[in-house]
Amino acid sequence: MAEIQLRNVGKRWGSFVGVDNFDLTIADKEFLVLLGPSGCGKTTTMRMIAGLEDASEGDILIDGKKVNDLEPKDRDVAMVFQSYALYPNMNVYENIRFPLKVRGIDPSTHDEKVRRASAMVELDDFLHRKPAELSGGQRQRVALARAIVREPNVFLMDEPLSNLDAKLRVSTRAQIKNLSHELAVTTIYVTHDQIEAMTLADRVVVMKQGVVQQLGSPTDIYDKPANSFVASFIGNPAMNLMTGIMAGGTFEAQNVRIEGLHAPDGPVTLGFRAEDAGLGDAGHHEITAPIYTLELLGDATMVTVRIGGELVAVRAPKDFRSEIGDTVSLSVPAAICHLFDAKTGARIEA
Amino acid sequence: MASKAQRMPLGLRILTYGFVLVWFILAAFPFFWTFWGSFKVELDFFSIADWTNALTGERTKAAYDSAFTGAAYKGAWVQEEFWRNVINTFIVCFFVVCTSLTIGTLGGYALSRSSFRYTFWLLITALIFRAMPPITLVAGYLLPFFEWNVWGILPTTIIVLVAINQPFTLWMLHSFFQNIPKELDESAKVDGCTQFQAFRHVIVPVMWPGVITTGLFSFLLAYNDFAVTAMLLSESNRTMVPAIAAFLGTTYTEGNVMFAVAAVVSATAPLFILVMVFQRQIVSGLTAGAVKG
Repeated sequence: MAEIQLRNVGKRWGSFVGVDNFDLTIADKEFLVLLGPSGCGKTTTMRMIAGLEDASEGDILIDGKKVNDLEPKDRDVAMVFQSYALYPNMNVYENIRFPLKVRGIDPSTHDEKVRRASAMVELDDFLHRKPAELSGGQRQRVALARAIVREPNVFLMDEPLSNLDAKLRVSTRAQIKNLSHELAVTTIYVTHDQIEAMTLADRVVVMKQGVVQQLGSPTDIYDKPANSFVASFIGNPAMNLMTGIMAGGTFEAQNVRIEGLHAPDGPVTLGFRAEDAGLGDAGHHEITAPIYTLELLGDATMVTVRIGGELVAVRAPKDFRSEIGDTVSLSVPAAICHLFDAKTGARIEA
Repeated sequence: MASKAQRMPLGLRILTYGFVLVWFILAAFPFFWTFWGSFKVELDFFSIADWTNALTGERTKAAYDSAFTGAAYKGAWVQEEFWRNVINTFIVCFFVVCTSLTIGTLGGYALSRSSFRYTFWLLITALIFRAMPPITLVAGYLLPFFEWNVWGILPTTIIVLVAINQPFTLWMLHSFFQNIPKELDESAKVDGCTQFQAFRHVIVPVMWPGVITTGLFSFLLAYNDFAVTAMLLSESNRTMVPAIAAFLGTTYTEGNVMFAVAAVVSATAPLFILVMVFQRQIVSGLTAGAVKG
């Protein structure tokens, strides 16, 4: 049971702004993901909530109680670190038990709690091992078990999957999703991987250079990016962006002509997603350009062309075959296009 | 079995083993020679007439009917009461190690976790003090110690040795602590520890090899020190090293030099045992951080 409120929270080191004026209420049991490139302030925000970093300004409230001056141990949060931070001298059992021990929780309940937590992350067979004798994925699960063992109010996870290989990342991601559903605890999850954000989050906060760019559900952020930065950060591949001139509802750039758009005349940035577009036909051939590269993905073929220095990718059927350098026409109807201000990058609503 | 590529040519192998053998003899000979000689009389071991007397023990045979005698040990330990010096040495070592390790671990930890600039300058200052020869400090201490009437006693020496020793332990432990990731502290704090509990329950157990290694070096410094103990201790409070020097200084009486030889052997033996016992910790302490844990 915990609602977290951040009221105009900021963090400065001298003149450097780490986090600027962060204002957000995280609902009880919500799974919130802080997403952004490295150095965007997402980890700092989490560390301020944990109490490992002092907020330079603003208030942090957990359950309506101001916690700015509380030690980490008094905030009733649990954290999973990127490096896992397991205690190397203790075995798995002792690692998981440690939070119970230092908090003086009735020793007779320890064994049951440790075994329940370890069962949840399928570590039963490894309880006697030292962290050094575990694989990366197992260490990660020990860190998770240590976080859940004392049933805290808030979970904080700092890029917990980034040290795992790609395959393990997918399965552990599923495990975290299932775990958070089962435990129903307010969770804040920091990542730079947009797929993790999309798959796990109830709401996503996209950050850049300490400033919140957009806050919304994964669908919001995917379908209606608030600016060109969010558009270029979310999606795999990221949204295609190209700059051109808008005149009378028609967007024009080299080899590109898209009609039927609604935006004031002048320079704009136009974006669309590779999977929304397709190969052109007699009716739709907004882009006609030589093929820059072709990538076979198995379920589709990615056709990339160059528009004014930018690479623009379009998803074509999997049996599409052509040669690099051949001219291809692509269909980009106005309905799938997103328009952004060429200078500020802000979204232009149709 | 070694593959052909790994096998060394015969000549090279002889050369390698030969070199190791020569080095071993060079390094170990003085110890064996002293150990051997400590069971002779002075006229044999320091014979001017014929150095082979030290091997055969002519005079020793004449005096004690045997080529070996424990007379030097008896003289040193019983007659000169060398055991008092041994006890003094261990008192000094014990307190020097305990004090400098306590201050060193706490200080090294604080410095390694502090984000302030001045920590760097504190460490540099410590290094400068470490670089000075101890004797330069002792000269300055002497007058105030006489005035305050604290000269010649063990506690004074312990304090001075700790002061000389501290920069080194601080540096060494500081670098050990820096190899321990900060996340470990932070994780402990989130798990429910105060800063001190995190230090006590999480960091120190991980640091243990480093503490042992530093403690051993600190022990050796106190054990081997001559400059400070010779200047600051009165005759009745001497530790082993100045006592040995005193035996050597009184060559007018026959046999006193042999007391020194016997005392040297007595003083060296514990060091061998100590290093043997702790060798594993020393090596793991010295290489800690070299491998990512």
